[in-house]
Amino acid sequence: MGDLDQIRRYLASEGILMSFNGPFRHSIIEELGKAVRRHLEAEAVRKSAMADVFTVFIEAAQNVAAYAAQGHWTGPERAQAETGVLVIGRRGDRYLVRCGNYVRSQDTPGLLARLDALAGMAPADLKALYKERLHAEVPPGALGAGLGLIRMARTASAPLSYSVAAEDAGLEFFSLTVTV
Amino acid sequence: MTLETLTFAATASSPRVRSDAEAGLLELAGESYPENSFEFFQPILAWVEDFLARDDRPLGVELRLTYLNTSSIKCMMDLLDAMEEAHLSGRAVSVTWFYDPENDRALDLAEEFREDLSLPFRIVPMPSEG
Repeated sequence: MGDLDQIRRYLASEGILMSFNGPFRHSIIEELGKAVRRHLEAEAVRKSAMADVFTVFIEAAQNVAAYAAQGHWTGPERAQAETGVLVIGRRGDRYLVRCGNYVRSQDTPGLLARLDALAGMAPADLKALYKERLHAEVPPGALGAGLGLIRMARTASAPLSYSVAAEDAGLEFFSLTVTV
Repeated sequence: MTLETLTFAATASSPRVRSDAEAGLLELAGESYPENSFEFFQPILAWVEDFLARDDRPLGVELRLTYLNTSSIKCMMDLLDAMEEAHLSGRAVSVTWFYDPENDRALDLAEEFREDLSLPFRIVPMPSEG
Protein backbone atom coordinates (compact mmCIF):
# COMPACT_ATOMS: atom_id res chain seq x y z
CA MET A 1 0.00 0.00 0.00
CA GLY A 2 1.28 3.43 -0.89
CA ASP A 3 2.20 6.11 1.55
CA LEU A 4 -0.89 7.13 3.52
CA ASP A 5 -0.08 10.83 3.35
CA GLN A 6 0.14 10.46 -0.44
CA ILE A 7 -3.34 8.88 -0.48
CA ARG A 8 -4.66 11.68 1.72
CA ARG A 9 -3.13 14.35 -0.56
CA TYR A 10 -4.62 12.63 -3.59
CA LEU A 11 -8.11 12.54 -2.01
CA ALA A 12 -7.84 16.23 -1.06
CA SER A 13 -6.58 17.28 -4.51
CA GLU A 14 -9.50 15.46 -6.16
CA GLY A 15 -12.01 17.15 -3.85
CA ILE A 16 -13.01 13.79 -2.37
CA LEU A 17 -15.03 14.15 0.83
CA MET A 18 -15.70 10.49 1.49
CA SER A 19 -14.65 7.18 0.02
CA PHE A 20 -15.48 3.57 0.75
CA ASN A 21 -14.25 0.34 -0.79
CA GLY A 22 -15.83 -2.84 0.55
CA PRO A 23 -18.97 -4.95 0.79
CA PHE A 24 -22.28 -3.16 0.13
CA ARG A 25 -24.38 -4.96 2.71
CA HIS A 26 -27.47 -3.36 4.18
CA SER A 27 -25.97 -2.74 7.64
CA ILE A 28 -22.97 -1.03 6.02
CA ILE A 29 -25.20 1.05 3.73
CA GLU A 30 -27.08 2.25 6.84
CA GLU A 31 -23.84 3.25 8.59
CA LEU A 32 -22.46 4.91 5.46
CA GLY A 33 -25.77 6.73 5.05
CA LYS A 34 -25.46 8.20 8.54
CA ALA A 35 -21.85 9.15 7.83
CA VAL A 36 -22.80 10.83 4.52
CA ARG A 37 -25.45 12.94 6.27
CA ARG A 38 -23.20 13.94 9.19
CA HIS A 39 -20.31 14.77 6.92
CA LEU A 40 -22.45 16.95 4.64
CA GLU A 41 -24.06 18.63 7.67
CA ALA A 42 -20.58 19.45 8.99
CA GLU A 43 -19.74 20.95 5.58
CA ALA A 44 -22.87 23.12 5.88
CA VAL A 45 -24.26 21.78 2.61
CA ARG A 46 -27.75 23.06 1.71
CA LYS A 47 -30.50 20.63 2.63
CA SER A 48 -31.69 20.06 -0.93
CA ALA A 49 -28.14 19.29 -2.14
CA MET A 50 -27.69 16.98 0.83
CA ALA A 51 -30.97 15.24 -0.06
CA ASP A 52 -29.79 14.80 -3.67
CA VAL A 53 -26.43 13.34 -2.63
CA PHE A 54 -28.14 11.03 -0.14
CA THR A 55 -30.71 9.91 -2.75
CA VAL A 56 -28.05 9.05 -5.31
CA PHE A 57 -25.90 7.32 -2.68
CA ILE A 58 -28.80 5.14 -1.44
CA GLU A 59 -30.06 4.22 -4.91
CA ALA A 60 -26.56 3.39 -6.21
CA ALA A 61 -25.58 1.40 -3.10
CA GLN A 62 -28.87 -0.51 -2.95
CA ASN A 63 -28.59 -1.32 -6.67
CA VAL A 64 -25.20 -2.93 -5.98
CA ALA A 65 -26.55 -4.80 -2.93
CA ALA A 66 -29.66 -6.01 -4.79
CA TYR A 67 -27.60 -7.11 -7.80
CA ALA A 68 -25.18 -9.01 -5.54
CA ALA A 69 -28.11 -10.63 -3.69
CA GLN A 70 -29.37 -12.31 -6.86
CA GLY A 71 -28.97 -16.07 -6.82
CA HIS A 72 -26.73 -16.55 -9.83
CA TRP A 73 -23.36 -16.08 -8.13
CA THR A 74 -21.02 -18.84 -7.05
CA GLY A 75 -19.37 -18.46 -3.60
CA PRO A 76 -16.19 -16.50 -4.43
CA GLU A 77 -17.93 -14.54 -7.21
CA ARG A 78 -20.58 -13.42 -4.74
CA ALA A 79 -18.04 -11.75 -2.42
CA GLN A 80 -16.65 -9.92 -5.44
CA ALA A 81 -20.15 -8.93 -6.58
CA GLU A 82 -20.87 -7.38 -3.19
CA THR A 83 -17.69 -5.35 -3.27
CA GLY A 84 -18.20 -1.85 -4.43
CA VAL A 85 -16.45 1.49 -4.43
CA LEU A 86 -18.20 4.66 -3.44
CA VAL A 87 -16.74 8.14 -3.68
CA ILE A 88 -18.43 11.43 -2.82
CA GLY A 89 -16.64 14.55 -3.91
CA ARG A 90 -17.13 18.22 -4.50
CA ARG A 91 -16.32 20.05 -7.72
CA GLY A 92 -17.05 23.75 -7.46
CA ASP A 93 -20.63 24.06 -6.27
CA ARG A 94 -21.54 20.59 -7.54
CA TYR A 95 -21.30 17.24 -5.80
CA LEU A 96 -20.24 14.04 -7.49
CA VAL A 97 -21.38 10.64 -6.33
CA ARG A 98 -19.38 7.87 -7.97
CA CYS A 99 -20.14 4.22 -7.51
CA GLY A 100 -18.50 1.14 -9.01
CA ASN A 101 -19.11 -2.60 -8.84
CA TYR A 102 -18.53 -5.87 -10.66
CA VAL A 103 -21.15 -6.89 -13.21
CA ARG A 104 -21.36 -10.19 -15.11
CA SER A 105 -20.34 -9.64 -18.76
CA GLN A 106 -23.69 -10.96 -19.99
CA ASP A 107 -25.52 -8.31 -17.92
CA THR A 108 -23.58 -5.28 -19.14
CA PRO A 109 -25.25 -4.80 -22.58
CA GLY A 110 -28.70 -4.57 -20.93
CA LEU A 111 -27.45 -2.17 -18.26
CA LEU A 112 -25.69 0.06 -20.80
CA ALA A 113 -28.75 0.04 -23.08
CA ARG A 114 -30.95 1.22 -20.17
CA LEU A 115 -28.47 3.99 -19.32
CA ASP A 116 -28.13 5.03 -22.98
CA ALA A 117 -31.92 5.27 -23.25
CA LEU A 118 -32.12 7.44 -20.10
CA ALA A 119 -29.26 9.65 -21.34
CA GLY A 120 -31.30 10.67 -24.38
CA MET A 121 -34.40 11.64 -22.42
CA ALA A 122 -35.62 15.13 -21.55
CA PRO A 123 -36.76 15.77 -17.94
CA ALA A 124 -40.46 15.52 -18.92
CA ASP A 125 -39.87 12.12 -20.56
CA LEU A 126 -37.92 10.89 -17.52
CA LYS A 127 -40.80 11.95 -15.30
CA ALA A 128 -43.35 10.18 -17.55
CA LEU A 129 -41.29 6.97 -17.50
CA TYR A 130 -40.91 7.25 -13.70
CA LYS A 131 -44.66 7.65 -13.24
CA GLU A 132 -45.40 4.75 -15.59
CA ARG A 133 -43.12 2.45 -13.55
CA LEU A 134 -44.53 3.79 -10.29
CA HIS A 135 -48.02 2.56 -11.14
CA ALA A 136 -46.93 -0.69 -12.83
CA GLU A 137 -46.88 -4.15 -11.23
CA VAL A 138 -43.49 -5.20 -9.90
CA PRO A 139 -42.48 -8.70 -11.09
CA PRO A 140 -42.66 -11.27 -8.25
CA GLY A 141 -39.35 -11.71 -6.44
CA ALA A 142 -37.99 -8.35 -7.60
CA LEU A 143 -35.88 -6.58 -4.98
CA GLY A 144 -36.47 -3.15 -6.43
CA ALA A 145 -39.05 -1.30 -8.45
CA GLY A 146 -36.72 -0.64 -11.41
CA LEU A 147 -36.87 3.05 -10.56
CA GLY A 148 -33.37 3.62 -9.16
CA LEU A 149 -31.56 4.62 -12.35
CA ILE A 150 -34.49 6.79 -13.46
CA ARG A 151 -34.50 8.61 -10.12
CA MET A 152 -30.73 9.13 -10.32
CA ALA A 153 -31.11 10.56 -13.83
CA ARG A 154 -33.89 12.87 -12.58
CA THR A 155 -31.86 13.97 -9.55
CA ALA A 156 -28.69 14.67 -11.53
CA SER A 157 -27.89 18.16 -12.79
CA ALA A 158 -25.86 16.73 -15.70
CA PRO A 159 -26.21 13.56 -17.81
CA LEU A 160 -25.15 10.37 -16.01
CA SER A 161 -21.64 9.31 -16.90
CA TYR A 162 -20.83 5.58 -16.99
CA SER A 163 -18.38 3.04 -18.34
CA VAL A 164 -17.40 -0.61 -18.08
CA ALA A 165 -13.90 -2.07 -17.98
CA ALA A 166 -13.19 -5.73 -18.69
CA GLU A 167 -12.07 -7.83 -15.73
CA ASP A 168 -11.13 -11.49 -15.82
CA ALA A 169 -13.52 -14.47 -15.65
CA GLY A 170 -16.61 -13.02 -17.33
CA LEU A 171 -16.82 -9.97 -15.09
CA GLU A 172 -16.69 -6.29 -15.91
CA PHE A 173 -16.23 -3.34 -13.61
CA PHE A 174 -19.07 -0.87 -13.96
CA SER A 175 -18.56 2.78 -12.97
CA LEU A 176 -21.30 5.35 -12.63
CA THR A 177 -20.81 9.06 -11.93
CA VAL A 178 -23.76 11.21 -10.95
CA THR A 179 -23.37 14.98 -10.64
CA VAL A 180 -25.89 16.78 -8.45
CA MET B 1 -62.31 -10.55 14.54
CA THR B 2 -60.64 -7.26 15.32
CA LEU B 3 -58.01 -5.79 13.10
CA GLU B 4 -54.45 -6.38 14.23
CA THR B 5 -52.62 -3.30 15.54
CA LEU B 6 -49.32 -2.55 13.87
CA THR B 7 -46.56 -1.13 16.04
CA PHE B 8 -43.09 -1.14 14.51
CA ALA B 9 -40.26 0.76 16.17
CA ALA B 10 -38.12 2.88 13.87
CA THR B 11 -34.71 1.66 12.73
CA ALA B 12 -31.96 3.57 10.89
CA SER B 13 -33.59 2.64 7.58
CA SER B 14 -37.25 1.97 8.39
CA PRO B 15 -39.96 4.21 9.83
CA ARG B 16 -41.92 3.92 13.06
CA VAL B 17 -45.35 2.53 12.22
CA ARG B 18 -48.50 2.73 14.30
CA SER B 19 -51.99 1.74 13.27
CA ASP B 20 -55.13 2.38 15.30
CA ALA B 21 -58.23 0.68 13.91
CA GLU B 22 -60.46 2.30 16.60
CA ALA B 23 -59.41 5.79 15.57
CA GLY B 24 -59.07 4.88 11.87
CA LEU B 25 -55.50 6.15 11.82
CA LEU B 26 -52.21 4.95 10.34
CA GLU B 27 -48.96 6.77 11.08
CA LEU B 28 -45.51 6.32 9.58
CA ALA B 29 -42.55 8.43 10.71
CA GLY B 30 -38.84 8.35 9.93
CA GLU B 31 -36.48 7.13 7.24
CA SER B 32 -37.56 4.57 4.68
CA TYR B 33 -34.88 2.67 2.79
CA PRO B 34 -35.22 -0.87 4.19
CA GLU B 35 -33.22 -3.77 2.78
CA ASN B 36 -36.44 -5.17 1.31
CA SER B 37 -39.14 -2.51 1.03
CA PHE B 38 -41.74 -4.91 -0.38
CA GLU B 39 -41.38 -7.17 2.64
CA PHE B 40 -41.44 -4.20 5.03
CA PHE B 41 -44.55 -2.58 3.52
CA GLN B 42 -46.51 -5.80 2.92
CA PRO B 43 -48.20 -5.89 6.42
CA ILE B 44 -48.89 -2.14 6.23
CA LEU B 45 -50.58 -2.44 2.84
CA ALA B 46 -52.49 -5.51 4.10
CA TRP B 47 -53.68 -3.53 7.15
CA VAL B 48 -54.98 -0.69 4.96
CA GLU B 49 -56.73 -3.11 2.59
CA ASP B 50 -58.31 -4.97 5.54
CA PHE B 51 -59.44 -1.76 7.19
CA LEU B 52 -60.99 -0.50 3.97
CA ALA B 53 -62.70 -3.85 3.33
CA ARG B 54 -64.25 -4.14 6.82
CA ASP B 55 -66.69 -1.33 7.35
CA ASP B 56 -67.24 2.20 6.18
CA ARG B 57 -65.38 4.22 8.80
CA PRO B 58 -63.00 6.99 7.68
CA LEU B 59 -59.27 6.31 7.35
CA GLY B 60 -56.63 8.97 7.97
CA VAL B 61 -52.99 8.39 7.10
CA GLU B 62 -50.33 10.67 8.61
CA LEU B 63 -46.87 10.53 7.09
CA ARG B 64 -43.72 12.09 8.50
CA LEU B 65 -41.16 10.46 6.24
CA THR B 66 -37.78 12.14 6.06
CA TYR B 67 -36.44 9.99 3.22
CA LEU B 68 -37.90 7.36 0.89
CA ASN B 69 -35.89 5.21 -1.48
CA THR B 70 -37.50 4.31 -4.81
CA SER B 71 -38.83 0.94 -3.67
CA SER B 72 -40.44 2.62 -0.63
CA ILE B 73 -41.93 5.22 -2.98
CA LYS B 74 -43.35 2.37 -5.07
CA CYS B 75 -44.87 0.72 -1.95
CA MET B 76 -46.29 4.04 -0.77
CA MET B 77 -47.83 4.59 -4.23
CA ASP B 78 -49.47 1.13 -4.02
CA LEU B 79 -50.87 2.05 -0.58
CA LEU B 80 -52.15 5.42 -1.82
CA ASP B 81 -53.60 3.79 -4.96
CA ALA B 82 -55.62 1.45 -2.67
CA MET B 83 -56.88 4.49 -0.73
CA GLU B 84 -57.68 6.30 -3.98
CA GLU B 85 -59.81 3.38 -5.12
CA ALA B 86 -61.74 3.54 -1.82
CA HIS B 87 -62.11 7.31 -2.20
CA LEU B 88 -63.52 6.91 -5.73
CA SER B 89 -66.14 4.50 -4.39
CA GLY B 90 -67.23 7.07 -1.80
CA ARG B 91 -65.16 6.16 1.27
CA ALA B 92 -63.86 8.96 3.52
CA VAL B 93 -60.07 8.68 3.35
CA SER B 94 -57.41 11.35 3.76
CA VAL B 95 -53.64 11.76 3.75
CA THR B 96 -51.58 14.32 5.64
CA TRP B 97 -48.00 14.51 4.44
CA PHE B 98 -45.61 16.40 6.70
CA TYR B 99 -42.40 17.61 5.07
CA ASP B 100 -39.24 19.48 6.03
CA PRO B 101 -39.73 23.01 4.65
CA GLU B 102 -35.95 23.56 4.42
CA ASN B 103 -35.64 20.74 1.91
CA ASP B 104 -37.15 21.57 -1.52
CA ARG B 105 -36.89 17.93 -2.56
CA ALA B 106 -39.19 16.82 0.26
CA LEU B 107 -41.95 19.10 -1.05
CA ASP B 108 -41.39 17.95 -4.67
CA LEU B 109 -41.77 14.32 -3.56
CA ALA B 110 -45.04 14.99 -1.71
CA GLU B 111 -46.43 16.92 -4.69
CA GLU B 112 -45.53 14.12 -7.10
CA PHE B 113 -47.66 11.75 -5.02
CA ARG B 114 -50.55 14.19 -4.74
CA GLU B 115 -50.73 14.97 -8.47
CA ASP B 116 -51.63 11.32 -9.20
CA LEU B 117 -54.52 11.27 -6.72
CA SER B 118 -57.88 12.93 -6.20
CA LEU B 119 -58.38 11.95 -2.51
CA PRO B 120 -57.98 14.68 0.16
CA PHE B 121 -54.19 15.09 0.45
CA ARG B 122 -52.76 17.83 2.68
CA ILE B 123 -49.08 18.77 2.48
CA VAL B 124 -47.99 20.41 5.73
CA PRO B 125 -44.57 21.78 6.75
CA MET B 126 -43.15 20.28 9.92
CA PRO B 127 -40.62 22.01 12.16
CA SER B 128 -37.08 20.86 11.35
CA GLU B 129 -35.38 18.63 13.88
CA GLY B 130 -32.26 20.79 13.66
